[in-house]
Amino acid sequence: MKIFEFEYKCETSIIHKLDPRAKLVYVILFTVLTIYFTNPLILLLIFLSSVPMAILGKIVRKWLISIKSSLFFIIFIFLFNFIGIFWTTGKIIDTIIISIAMTIRFISLISIFSIFFLSTSPEDLMQSMIKLKIPYEYVLTFNMAIRFVPTLAREAQTIIDAQRSRGLEFEKGNIFQKVKKYIPILIPLIISSLRRAEVIADAMESRAFGASKTRSFLYTLTMSKKDFIFISICIITFTIFLFLRMFSYIQ
Amino acid sequence: MIEFHNVFFSYQPDKEILKNINLKINKGELLAIIGPNGAGKTTLLKHINGLLKPQKGYVKVLGMNTKETTVATLARHVGFVFQNPDHQLFAETVEKEIMFALINFNFPEHEIKERVERILHELDLVKYRNKSPFVLSGGERKRVALASVLCYDPSILILDEPTIGQDYRQKLNLINLISKLNKEGKTVIIVTHDIEFVADFIPRCIIMSDGRIIADGPTEEVLTNSKLLLENSLLLPQLVEISLALDINPPTINFEKLCSIIKKIIEMKEL
Ligand SMILES: Nc1ncnc2c1ncn2[C@@H]1O[C@H](COP(=O)(O)OP(=O)(O)OP(=O)(O)O)[C@@H](O)[C@H]1O
Ligand SMILES: [Mg+2]
Repeated sequence: MKIFEFEYKCETSIIHKLDPRAKLVYVILFTVLTIYFTNPLILLLIFLSSVPMAILGKIVRKWLISIKSSLFFIIFIFLFNFIGIFWTTGKIIDTIIISIAMTIRFISLISIFSIFFLSTSPEDLMQSMIKLKIPYEYVLTFNMAIRFVPTLAREAQTIIDAQRSRGLEFEKGNIFQKVKKYIPILIPLIISSLRRAEVIADAMESRAFGASKTRSFLYTLTMSKKDFIFISICIITFTIFLFLRMFSYIQ
Repeated sequence: MIEFHNVFFSYQPDKEILKNINLKINKGELLAIIGPNGAGKTTLLKHINGLLKPQKGYVKVLGMNTKETTVATLARHVGFVFQNPDHQLFAETVEKEIMFALINFNFPEHEIKERVERILHELDLVKYRNKSPFVLSGGERKRVALASVLCYDPSILILDEPTIGQDYRQKLNLINLISKLNKEGKTVIIVTHDIEFVADFIPRCIIMSDGRIIADGPTEEVLTNSKLLLENSLLLPQLVEISLALDINPPTINFEKLCSIIKKIIEMKEL
């Protein structure tokens, strides 16, 4: 069993060097697109448009892993939609098309977000949020949540290992029994996260977190020409997709 | 019994964690694995019950190739107590926690009750039986984790850093328990940073560093090799330091032996 891979690794590709705010524009625009469209072909196009990003960012391997590790959810979403829609409409072809669309939509979202997180360092992200005038406490909370995803993933792996060592078999049993087998994984995961949160809070307060109203920063971000070019490309692509929508109406 | 043959392993393609591990452990042995943080000790242990499979070479346990055997099958014979008890405790009560493995392995009901009872007494946990494992102290949680594995009586026992957070009395209890289990014929493998613990109680010692086994032999020999230990940033056992300071050659980790040598030195001075 392998867990999500969202860990940022310091690399120097064009995508890594972009300002996080520019990448955030990409994420927002393309997330809007994936939610807006329901046509599976267009959704597939949106997904494909994220592939060059992964290649340019030299993160193809990790990007593939994060898509692969969400396979469980992908199958789940497909089945859930399939059963749900078939139940209410009873039309088999429509059901298949919509289920496929929903599945591609989910894969695209995973793709877009993993590209963002795999190519953006937590520090950069934090800086850009501060630039966007978000209060420091929220920025820090968000940042820590992201930073602890890899820790959490590794911890989940260890917990799975520990319970398998005590004879827990995930492969066996029907769907209800399988779901029940996640209890021995989830409880230790939640408890040890809470324990860690407590320790971190204490450690931060003992190092004077929140002692003064203003704080200094080690480095700041600036937007450059390549960021504006990138944003322009994103907006142009976004507009093209919207035209596609109009086009499909005319048809 | 346990055999590693040219084993290589890496979590990520570009970084090898185990590099050409060769190791034989016989039935009934008691041995320690020591080495700096990140040396790959836990990774090596996870190969013994098949949680990790070698990418090159093979691991055989009780004649079974771990690549062809499920973890559950191996786990019935290999008990593995993890470094951090919080990674496995989840049940409402200590008693239920101990039952978990017994139920997984399909023990009959009367035997489950019997075994839980026995292990609660053996590990001094009777007074906590109906408490939640989460309200116990760190050292107590560690004992619950140990109990939850010992209860199904595996013939090989793996303990990842069992002495952490144990007070002196519990450490003595642990040592007694380990030697009792070992006398019953169980193979016990212990990973630890507690070098005095190894020097005093464990007959065979393996040193790992950077994914390799760099020493393997009787503890008396391995732990008195001061050059090797210092090169791998390991602390010398205190008795070895005393031996070195007094120019006793060869150094020793045996308390009685060292005392008699020191007595002799004193007597010679007095003459
Ligand atoms: N799930 C994992 N994914 C990626 N790398 C890992 C994983 N688990 C361990 N590692 C890496 O493998 C190396 C060896 O880890 P291992 O846990 O085997 O060391 P160890 O000898 O047990 O150390 P310690 O004394 O700290 O317990 C470390 O560099 C660690 O970062
Ligand atoms: Mg370890």
